[in-house]
Amino acid sequence: MRKIIELKNITKAYDGQVVLDNINLDIYDNEFLTLLGPSGCGKTTTLRLIGGFESADAGDVIFLGENINDVPPYKRNVNTVFQRYALFPHLNVFENVAFPLREKKVPRDEIEQKVQDMLALVALTGFENRSVTSLSGGQQQRVAIARALISRPKVLLLDEPLAALDLKLRKDMQAELKKIQKATGITFVFVTHDQEEALSMSDTVVVMSEGRIQQIGTPVDIYNEPENAFVADFIGESNILDGVMLSDYRVAFSGHVFDCVDSGFSKREAVDVVVRPEDVDIVAEDKGMLKGVVTSVTFLGVHYEIIVDINGFKWMIQTTDFVDVDEHIGLYIEPDAIHIMKKSEYSGLYGDYSSFSNELDELSDAESESEE
Amino acid sequence: MKTASKIYTGIIMLFLFAPIIILLIFSFNEAKSLSVYSGFSLNWYKELFKDAETLNAVRNTLVLAVSASLISTVMGTAAAVGINKLRNKYLRMTLDTVTNIPMINPDIITGISLMLMFVFVGRLFGAATSLSFWTMLIAHITFCLPYVILQVLPKLQQMDSSLPEAAMDLGCTPLRAFFKVEVPEIMPGIVTGLIMAFTLSLDDFVISYFTSGNGFETLPIRIYNMTKKTVTPKMYALATIIFFVILALLILNNLVDDEAVAKSAKTKAAAKKEHSRTRKIAVGIIGGVLAVGCVFILVFSGSRTLELNVYNWGEYISDGSDDSLDTVKAFEEWYEETYGQKVKVNYSTYASNEDMYAKLSSGAVSFDLVIPSDYMIARMLNEDMLLPLDFDNIPNYKYISEDFRGLYYDPDDIYTVPYTYGVIGIMYNANVVDEADATGWELLWNEKYAGDILQFNNSRDAFATAQYKLDLDINSTDHANWDRALEELKAQRPLVKSYVMDEIYNMMESGEAAIAAYYAGDYFTMVDAQAEDVDLRFYYPDHTNYFVDAMCIPSCCQNKELAEIFINYMLSPEPAIANAEYIYYACPNSAVYEDEGYMEDLGEEAIAILYPEMESFRELYNKYAYRNLDNETLSYINTLWETLKIG
Repeated sequence: MRKIIELKNITKAYDGQVVLDNINLDIYDNEFLTLLGPSGCGKTTTLRLIGGFESADAGDVIFLGENINDVPPYKRNVNTVFQRYALFPHLNVFENVAFPLREKKVPRDEIEQKVQDMLALVALTGFENRSVTSLSGGQQQRVAIARALISRPKVLLLDEPLAALDLKLRKDMQAELKKIQKATGITFVFVTHDQEEALSMSDTVVVMSEGRIQQIGTPVDIYNEPENAFVADFIGESNILDGVMLSDYRVAFSGHVFDCVDSGFSKREAVDVVVRPEDVDIVAEDKGMLKGVVTSVTFLGVHYEIIVDINGFKWMIQTTDFVDVDEHIGLYIEPDAIHIMKKSEYSGLYGDYSSFSNELDELSDAESESEE
Repeated sequence: MKTASKIYTGIIMLFLFAPIIILLIFSFNEAKSLSVYSGFSLNWYKELFKDAETLNAVRNTLVLAVSASLISTVMGTAAAVGINKLRNKYLRMTLDTVTNIPMINPDIITGISLMLMFVFVGRLFGAATSLSFWTMLIAHITFCLPYVILQVLPKLQQMDSSLPEAAMDLGCTPLRAFFKVEVPEIMPGIVTGLIMAFTLSLDDFVISYFTSGNGFETLPIRIYNMTKKTVTPKMYALATIIFFVILALLILNNLVDDEAVAKSAKTKAAAKKEHSRTRKIAVGIIGGVLAVGCVFILVFSGSRTLELNVYNWGEYISDGSDDSLDTVKAFEEWYEETYGQKVKVNYSTYASNEDMYAKLSSGAVSFDLVIPSDYMIARMLNEDMLLPLDFDNIPNYKYISEDFRGLYYDPDDIYTVPYTYGVIGIMYNANVVDEADATGWELLWNEKYAGDILQFNNSRDAFATAQYKLDLDINSTDHANWDRALEELKAQRPLVKSYVMDEIYNMMESGEAAIAAYYAGDYFTMVDAQAEDVDLRFYYPDHTNYFVDAMCIPSCCQNKELAEIFINYMLSPEPAIANAEYIYYACPNSAVYEDEGYMEDLGEEAIAILYPEMESFRELYNKYAYRNLDNETLSYINTLWETLKIG
């Protein structure tokens, strides 16, 4: 596949604070790529660099093999869908969508045709003469997409475009965006802090934290083979434990030796061990590889989420079997459910559910959204 | 409770609008007086449109307001954009505060400091006159600017900052993005700023007063300078017109604002139509203002010709109103006919000798001709502020008879040519005052009329009444003399209704007071406007005060010969008679007072009052007119005056 955009050794700081630290990223033709990370991780800055609204302190932005560091936004073959849409309030729907064509002095009848086609693509036919301020959030979103796509850019940049929509509408728009991307064949670079959104829509996910890329991969890779504790924790739920590689395919943690599928570590190397909550089976206490006491049970519809105390470390387990609080249970873990990671700066920061509560989780989610 | 709040609202409305309503009513008054309403008439509106000087002042005011508001709107918008883009919070706060300073700064300080700066910079470049239309324009832009910024900045801050980025993303250069996307967004702020700047510039007096130059007189300054002869009702007509124009602008502005509100409230289709219409109106108005502004500026900056800068009292020359001669215009025509060259007379006015003196001695202006009063002439001569006249250029000086030459302020007739003179007499309401009591200064001390007597609210004039009564020297430096006069004034105080200056007109016309001393010429103004039950009469006491206003050429003059030709023209019979008829003061020009037609028009009674018989004007004048006193005496008089006023 053809590389459309390459970011090479990009570094950027505001007032001495590093926001991008040596970023290297290739973006390919016809790809749906997502920049995922908590607020302040540098994902929006990366997007603005590609759009031309920011310039890097060091490093190069390459567009189809050409360095575009000094090319202003209006000369880049890239368009952006802004977080709050940035529709022009003094123009109606038609004129908003026609704006880029009018700037390029495209003939009148051609504009008419293209705008109608584009409005049809985003399902807004019949809204031509409406004022943009009279539209709902979802409709405004579609106008913004239509406007950004009408001049057929090579790349469409989307800056958390769904953040302001409610959950139901958001799901619909996710599907719609994916559909539009397939229909147009344009490369989408999508910024979000919502891991579920990232996993469901993307061809490639780029996980970022503290101005650095933590992992680049397909959604499945990212989920199943997280590179480090940060990625493991940020994508889905994970129990992350300190372990020791005894030899290839054998690892010890929580006072027990497990078979696993990983190899290539040095002997007795300290590692991080990830076990996803849904990969743990609950068995009778005497049949378990590990034994513990249930400290809390939460019913979530599809499954229960239970917290189990094993030698002082709290595990999260998702199960469809009902167990009661204070019940003594045994845990069984398949070798391929165990994922071994090298130690990193994030080791020990994540993966213990001692202080976990659903409420707290939602609270911190809401916070990170409002910060953006 | 509800009625109480209604009454309260009513009272507030009354307070706010009563003055305007009164102005409006009296602009349609047939009579000249404020105390008498004698029927509906459009007379003053007609008069207004015949008054070339006032219309010129209106034009000046508009030229200034249009150019100042347009320039300050463009500059202010640019400044607001710049301030809004600043990333440094402290720099931004500092700039915000700095731009607000001219708004909270008292006008008088802004005015003085601007004048000082203009004069200083002018001197630096060796300019003879540093104040002109351009300095006034700069001054007006200076004080309009913060208001524009204040209107535009919030609109920029409310605007989604990604709008310009979106425009650039879609193919606009930054400049184009600004005009295509940002300007429409902040338009309501720009329009409000423009209208505010326009109205502020239109009615500014204080700053304009300090920064105005030769011949460029705005309306507020012109009205202020009319106070020597009372403001004529045609100004009420003008004020009424201006009020309604501003009202229309305000209503328009509110329409634009409503549109913004409607938009933010997201009201749909219905609001949308309204919205685009008001926008069109606003754009139309701005376009119109722009066009008018350009035309005015073109007219204003038209061909330059020979210029003569005349500085005179307000309402002190025949100006074409009431079918009179437009002296200035007539001179320009006569000059072109005689000399084959165009001349432009820049005519400016002042309200008092002191105003004129301050303006001249600031060095910021240059005038070719001034017409101060006697004591001021003495002071200016003392300070070398006047140039000797070349009488070869003023052959018409022959009309000034021997009796009006050799006056104390210019004993050898080198610097001045008398223009008008006047004598103080006593006027009374014959319906209140017994004819038999109307004699000498004693009438002002007559206990029968306690509470009906007016006295000057000015130390020199007030003391003089007592000194004439006691036959004391009014120019004495002997403290005992002044102490005696004070005793006399103290004795009079219980009888005095109030100490007044210009209020005398209304109080006498309406019959509120019955006795006052004042100039003969002004007596006729009051008679013209007296109420039905008032019958004003006039007589001269034995000793009284005289004044002379004379034409002279200040040392800052740029074209002395032209000024002398103008003086000569003013002395020639036709303009001299026209001026005498217009001003209604006595004229020392024999071509006037020996003109049969003029004398016939005056009538015997007016002649007796305006031109009282006297053996020798010079002798009386040199004896009884005020002279410049030394500072020690002046401050002593002031101390005495304070004790009288505090009582």
